[in-house]
Amino acid sequence: MTWIQLLLREACHHWVNTLLGGFGLAIAVALLVAVQMTTEAAERETRRVMRDLGFNLRIIPRETDMDHFWDHGFSDQTMSEDTTRKLAAQHGSFLSFNHLTPTLEGRIQAGDRPVLLTGVGETLVGPGEAKQPMGLRIKPGQVILGSGVAARLKVKRGGLIRLGQRDFTVDRVLAESGTDDEVRIYGALADVQSLLGTPGRINEIKAVDCLCLTADQDPLGKLREILEKTLPEARVLQLRTMADARAKQRQSAERYSEFAVPLVLLVGAGWLALLTWLNVRERRVEIGLWRALGHSSSRIAALFLGKAVLLGLAGAAAGFALGTWIALEAGPGIFQVTAKSLSMDPTLLLWSMLLAPAFAALSTVLPTLGAVSQEPADTLRAD
Amino acid sequence: MLLCEQLERRFGGPAGEVAALAGVSLRIDRGEFVVIKGPSGCGKSTLLLTMGGMQRPSRGNLLFLDQNLYEMPAARRNRVRSKHIGFVFQLFHLIPYLTVRENILAGLPPGDSSRLPLERVDDLMSELGLGHRALHKPGSLSAGERQRTALARALIKKPDVILADEPTGNLDPVNAAYVFRFLGEYHRSGGTVVVVTHGQDAAGYASRTLHMASGRLSADPPPPETSTTSGHDSTPTIAAKG
Repeated sequence: MTWIQLLLREACHHWVNTLLGGFGLAIAVALLVAVQMTTEAAERETRRVMRDLGFNLRIIPRETDMDHFWDHGFSDQTMSEDTTRKLAAQHGSFLSFNHLTPTLEGRIQAGDRPVLLTGVGETLVGPGEAKQPMGLRIKPGQVILGSGVAARLKVKRGGLIRLGQRDFTVDRVLAESGTDDEVRIYGALADVQSLLGTPGRINEIKAVDCLCLTADQDPLGKLREILEKTLPEARVLQLRTMADARAKQRQSAERYSEFAVPLVLLVGAGWLALLTWLNVRERRVEIGLWRALGHSSSRIAALFLGKAVLLGLAGAAAGFALGTWIALEAGPGIFQVTAKSLSMDPTLLLWSMLLAPAFAALSTVLPTLGAVSQEPADTLRAD
Repeated sequence: MLLCEQLERRFGGPAGEVAALAGVSLRIDRGEFVVIKGPSGCGKSTLLLTMGGMQRPSRGNLLFLDQNLYEMPAARRNRVRSKHIGFVFQLFHLIPYLTVRENILAGLPPGDSSRLPLERVDDLMSELGLGHRALHKPGSLSAGERQRTALARALIKKPDVILADEPTGNLDPVNAAYVFRFLGEYHRSGGTVVVVTHGQDAAGYASRTLHMASGRLSADPPPPETSTTSGHDSTPTIAAKG
């Protein structure tokens, strides 16, 4: 009888122990897979929700008159449009922020009243970031209108609006937002530079602080450090409430993962070690007998470790299926914004198939070593 | 074949140290059928397990086929045990998830089952009245069938010696006689048998009977007042016939 036949025969004979062991491992793997999938989903959701919240860092020319800035909502000074690329080129920049969008803001007459005019340039994203940039994308010759401006000028999507000496097509009208966007017109950066008479200039870079840094790592300080060295002509402002919201959301997701993963691992290891100990205890006489019949300790230990590995493999496969099912069933209800991006992750199956058997074998080592180091006589004597 | 020299085995316990073997010297030659008798707790099972290389003595030497069993590495001792020594236990100790046939084959040295002519297993099962039970598991066997399976497991490898620890302790007289008849046949075919028992059913088969009390061996039965506790030192140790 081969080693594997012996192992399978024993596993079938002690089917309750086998089933409980496999079940425990499957539950542990299922929880880990579900936690991992939902953690990733939570991070995606966080990124998406944060992106929708908008930019929270504002980089403006150092010489800006701050009274003017807070009064008018934009800087009275300008800097070179190339500042954005210089900033993005700095090593480590994207560790502290991402989504750099150059803008130029000013006031322009639209109809009988002045409106806020914002030119939006190409957004630069960090390596590995999603290609889709934040904010608005506006083609040259087109504009996006705030709902208040559109209502006052009585123009709709596809209509024409005259700014300065040029006509622009209305790409779309923004929904009512309750902010100063109501009286804002967005245009392509080059068009706005031309309209405001400042070609090649911008007066703000909008950015989002990176989710990679927590509040205690001071993303603002890090960014200021970078700017101090490379762009002394710029200064950075942070929209504190929004930044704190990001940090809290991210830290909350991290804490969830930090709590859940070790707990599941600990419970899984304890469960398996207990079952193995019970199995070893039940099989003390058998172990003594195998040794009496001349089988080596390593061969006997291999029977127990082999069983653990087999249970690990079976538990990994079943647990992966169960965990994926749980995540796919429960996930969309929790993460509504990114529900469609929840999907089966084959790499998790690979990791489960590698780690669960190793983990099961590790949990089994101590009880097994204890069992095979006993003298056979200790378990076989009758008196 | 087997030479025990001043074997001692002490066990610690809450009530103090107990000497299960208190200086046992014994020689067993090839072809002997030795019966060791004595009351429960006198150390006879400890002696048998020590002779079988399964219980390291606290002191003394054990030579088996001119090799000191407890001076060789554990792996080599395993090989010697698996190749030359057959065991029969009072509680049968069959593997519960293997069939009768597989339990018998488990008695072969590791890796030898593939080289064994299958007829030998079948013959042995037929001889022991187990032919119809070949595919049954121990849980469905009677006590007598279990012990016969254990006996077949010991015999399958044609060992130099069979060590039997109270082999009939859990059997009715008919089955007990059956077991001794087979041990007797093995002995008549040239095998060596050492049986530990506190019953009388081995009397007709023994070429030599020894008595054990308080961890010591004697050729004569102990007097009725003999204590089974340690510290009894009036019984002389003996050497078997040469």
